Amino acid sequence: MAAQNLVFAVLAVVAVLAALRVVTTRNVVHAALYLVAVLGSVGALYVLLAAEFLAAVQVLIYIGAIVVLFLFGIMLTRPTLGRESGLDNDQRWLAGITGLFLFGVLSYVLVEAFGDERLPRLEGLDREALTAERGTGAVGDAIFSTYLVPFEVVSVLLLAALVGAIVLARRE
Amino acid sequence: MTPAVIAQIEPIATPEIEWFAVSPLLVLVGGALVLLTAAALARSRPPRGFYALFTVVTAALAVACSALLWQRVTDPGRGPFTAIGGAITIDGFSVFFAVTITAAIALGALLADDYLRREGLDGPELYVLMLLSGTGGVVMAMANDLIVVFLGLETLSIALYVMAGLHLRRLESQESAIKYFVLGSFSSAFLLYGIALVYGATGSTNFGAIAGFLSGNVLASNGLLLAGFALLLVGLGFKVAAVPFHVWTPDVYQGAPTPVTAFMASASKAAGFAALLRVFVSTFDVYRLDWRPLMWGLAVLSLLVGSFLAVVQSDVKRMLAYSSISHAGFILVGAEAASDRGIAGALFYLLAYTFMVVGSFGVATLVGGRGDADHGLSAYRGLSRRRPLLALAFTVLLLAQAGVPLTSGFLAKFYVIGAAVEADSYALALIAMLSAVVAAFVYLRITVAMYMGDETEGAEAVTRPAVRVPPGAALALGVAVAFTIVVGILPSPVVDFARDAVPVLLSAP
Repeated sequence: MAAQNLVFAVLAVVAVLAALRVVTTRNVVHAALYLVAVLGSVGALYVLLAAEFLAAVQVLIYIGAIVVLFLFGIMLTRPTLGRESGLDNDQRWLAGITGLFLFGVLSYVLVEAFGDERLPRLEGLDREALTAERGTGAVGDAIFSTYLVPFEVVSVLLLAALVGAIVLARRE
Repeated sequence: MTPAVIAQIEPIATPEIEWFAVSPLLVLVGGALVLLTAAALARSRPPRGFYALFTVVTAALAVACSALLWQRVTDPGRGPFTAIGGAITIDGFSVFFAVTITAAIALGALLADDYLRREGLDGPELYVLMLLSGTGGVVMAMANDLIVVFLGLETLSIALYVMAGLHLRRLESQESAIKYFVLGSFSSAFLLYGIALVYGATGSTNFGAIAGFLSGNVLASNGLLLAGFALLLVGLGFKVAAVPFHVWTPDVYQGAPTPVTAFMASASKAAGFAALLRVFVSTFDVYRLDWRPLMWGLAVLSLLVGSFLAVVQSDVKRMLAYSSISHAGFILVGAEAASDRGIAGALFYLLAYTFMVVGSFGVATLVGGRGDADHGLSAYRGLSRRRPLLALAFTVLLLAQAGVPLTSGFLAKFYVIGAAVEADSYALALIAMLSAVVAAFVYLRITVAMYMGDETEGAEAVTRPAVRVPPGAALALGVAVAFTIVVGILPSPVVDFARDAVPVLLSAP
């Protein structure tokens, strides 16, 4: 347990510090890279919670797709890369208040819902049964049984998006 | 892994796939894929009109599959059923919408054929996107699960965003695509949040399971569920262009290429109502006391705002856009009744509306001329002398939209208002009738311009090029007008079709 707590502490500190740097750094590219650190730490927290599939999805989608998209967006739209001064605007206090408010709401909900509950001790649990019920295998089973139709419809959706992207990007 | 280890792994219990049940979807997706691949591999340009013809044939095949499915679900021995792990329902309702949306695809393709050549945009893309978009719409109608509804909606919408911006050289087209995309994504987020809240309150996304839970349990605090209702109504209200979620409609309808507008106004609205009716009237039936007032408000606002703002427009596409908002109000009147009769009225209205609106925007496609820009009321002045048949067709479609007797539009309004009266929503029925009177002014205004307006009014009118009526568009207009008149005189087959298409709630086996 101690090792887990230690790893959690390290990941949590990294995530919070990196998140602070995302909004305080003066370089947009650095902000995007700090975001990688935040999202990566959260992914590692998922591993700690034994949700490997979620962790892999977190890395693939958030870091692999979204942050890369950010970087492309920055590089295609900014004439110069480096330190900039005009990144802040007047709404920083409003944003801060909104962030604190969200933090308060989420904390309240967590305490209200799970305040007295304790996580079950791992020693007493049947690990294999737990993995069969909630692990990556179970997710795979669900995708190919209960959620087979949604899974197939997603492929049609992606096809439509693909055709659409080519149509819009093509210039005669 | 050694073979012995592989043999130990349990196979996944995949559900049985009823290919027959999803055959309309398979035909539509298959048609899109074949068209895309064939167009990419072909060395030379295909003969004129090939893409449109292919799309129409695909749509006809999908209708044929739907007809077979209809036989199966109306057969008393077999009846409606859920397929593929309970994710989709095949009942009269889903078949009805499969037919409606496929009809919109066929008519839209016929209108697009000459338009694309005229604007120098010819290619298979629009047809492929139309087929994929229609697939999404049919998925929404067949869905038996909120997640399937959401994915169908996204497929429908993503293809539509691109179709709206297809006219690369027209700035309005680009603007409408961006506007539709931004607002559409926003409304999708609302829908998704609503789904999450309903899941949180009921523990399932499956319609049968949700309805079973709601009728079997009394929730101590139902705030989560009611918030979910509201958010779902926002998301779907956007799709059907109900006030106050309508602000995108005039701009997008005006900016999008006119055949796309025709498809958008018919297929997208039909799919949105398919989801709205199945989710609220069928699944949340137990909570009708909670959602009926919301629906009432949407219906009244849509009726009034749609009718009154249509009157002050000077652009015919915008007029038709606002009138489509007021039509959404009428269909909501049927939904608000929350009865089988109300649903049947709404379904009849949707089918009649599909043909009316595609026909009306079809006329706008032709009159708009090269550049798709000539949509002011002045373009229609004296049309009866230049193109008597076209003017006559438009007059029939407009009178049907106004609800003149002997057209499908009259019966459609009659059925939904009748259902509202039966459900004791007298105020709503009265408002619907009043707004029909106001909206009639708009349609008459266009008609008067076509017949009474003097062509030589204003200097630019003289130089206006002649309106061409290509064969594809003529066929689409002919079908739309014929349907409007025939159903207006002999409504019973369509009435029976709509009555047998009331949604059925089924739990997964």
